[in-house]
Amino acid sequence: MSIMQHHSDASLLENWRTINIDALDPESSSNFDTSTLHPAFAPVDENEIRTLGQQVRQLLRSGDAEGALRGALEGAPYGGDEAVKDLHLQTVTEVLQGIKASEMSPMLKRIFTSEGGGEALDVLMKYLYKGMASSTTRSVTSPTKPSMLSPQMTGGFSQMGGRPTPRNENDGAAMSVLLSWHEKVVEVAGLGCVGRCMSDWRKV
Amino acid sequence: MAPPEVHQLFHRPIADHSFSADKQTLAVARDTSVELYGRTGSGFALKDELKGHDKTVTSVDIALESGRIVTCSQDRNALVWEPSPTGYKPTLVLLRINRAATFVRWSPSETKFAVGSGARVIAICYFEEENDWWVSKHLKKPIRSTITTVAWHPNSVLLAAGSTDAHARVFSSFIKGVDARPDPGVWGERLPFNTVCGEYLNNSAGWVHAVSFSPSGDALAFAAHDSSITVVYPNGADQPPKAVISVSTQLLPFMSLIWNGEAEIIAAGYDCEAYRFKGNEGGWQLTGSLESKGGPAEEREESAFNMFKQMDLKGKTKDDTQLKTVHQNTISTIRIYEGSNGAVQKFSTSGVDGRIVIWNS
Repeated sequence: MSIMQHHSDASLLENWRTINIDALDPESSSNFDTSTLHPAFAPVDENEIRTLGQQVRQLLRSGDAEGALRGALEGAPYGGDEAVKDLHLQTVTEVLQGIKASEMSPMLKRIFTSEGGGEALDVLMKYLYKGMASSTTRSVTSPTKPSMLSPQMTGGFSQMGGRPTPRNENDGAAMSVLLSWHEKVVEVAGLGCVGRCMSDWRKV
Repeated sequence: MAPPEVHQLFHRPIADHSFSADKQTLAVARDTSVELYGRTGSGFALKDELKGHDKTVTSVDIALESGRIVTCSQDRNALVWEPSPTGYKPTLVLLRINRAATFVRWSPSETKFAVGSGARVIAICYFEEENDWWVSKHLKKPIRSTITTVAWHPNSVLLAAGSTDAHARVFSSFIKGVDARPDPGVWGERLPFNTVCGEYLNNSAGWVHAVSFSPSGDALAFAAHDSSITVVYPNGADQPPKAVISVSTQLLPFMSLIWNGEAEIIAAGYDCEAYRFKGNEGGWQLTGSLESKGGPAEEREESAFNMFKQMDLKGKTKDDTQLKTVHQNTISTIRIYEGSNGAVQKFSTSGVDGRIVIWNS
């Protein structure tokens, strides 16, 4: 008992195992800015993305769902801040919800075989994952500012967070739309598309 | 097309393999040792075991002319194994790295070899006569992460390297007294040590698994974890490249690639089979798999009795425990087995399933 006591006291005192040695080493790879690894994006204004959103909705209302989807995907605001990106996610989600299930596969095949279509489906895949992530974080995070220590607050992919539980019917429906799109996109663009979604530094 | 030659050596992953010039000896990296197999008729038999590393051996390469074997390992060391009448004699190489060595290849001149490492350096090693020692010089800048792969240019001066910072780079590894001054070419005119002749990143930016120069050395291809291959055609020193062509595929990522002439690339990886790409400066396309999977050949006539018997025994009617491909797991290395003037007649692959397969291209 006394030995154990002594041992834990010593480790508390020294605590050297918890020192972040990378922070002390100027040569360490954690001490450089990873954003310097790739070229920067042009910043995107909130008004710009609002206008684009309106154009896309206009197309959707006039019945050109494919044009709306393409327009939304090609205008992905990589250089925008979080607010701008969330705004565009809403636009994309609306378009996805506005397309009938029977339309999905033929439309995706048409887009995939067209010029620059593979790229467009990669972007779509990113929005599907972002959509799924944001609907789970909304239901998991409390209105208060998340603390860094709480495992639930790390953004929806933590193991401690448990299964994402949709807060209401609406979230569940949105999730099922995203999941059925996900299935169809993988059918057309393959697993490579999922891999690219993870490796790509152009975040939506 | 003749069927591929399949050799199941053991049931452990093969990190890397290399054939000797006469194809009678096969070196295979297995766990912490390198096993040497000798050709016996139609198969391979274990001949010798090179034990010297105390952690996983990550890469092995046999020099075609001298027969020297170089190995590197996660224990941060590289060893050169000199053939002698009494067996192979190891010499330790001073790599001066503090992380695992990941990849090693002899230069075509066989006077140098390059070792990639997790310490964000590439050690260019050469033999120093006066000290009777393999010493190394480091290529450091501007590498930002682990080097996963290296490949030599035919002139033995330029070296391509792929890294987990998603860049493929071309360096000069010119060492005075060892190399002849290279002729100016598309990669640059003056090439002192550590000149960065090119730095390439594709749009979706997966970390790089494999790099390779075309047979002429005037083009570079790399495969990355975003399931793409990218081909770069440079345009002389300090000029933007003539063309950078990226082919994104629907497949899983490729782990290794070779050129077959200037207009064809063969790549293999997580899909457990080799694929062919064709193209030129104007564009590249995936043309298909090299395996002919014309339906399972041993499909027997299924009687109703048989079907119910299988369902009773195994709970299913079809045996789906085998992949339809020759390799039963990820292919990690693909190498030229037989070729002339840049054209490949046969190539060999090895992977996680412990198989060595020799293919007709």
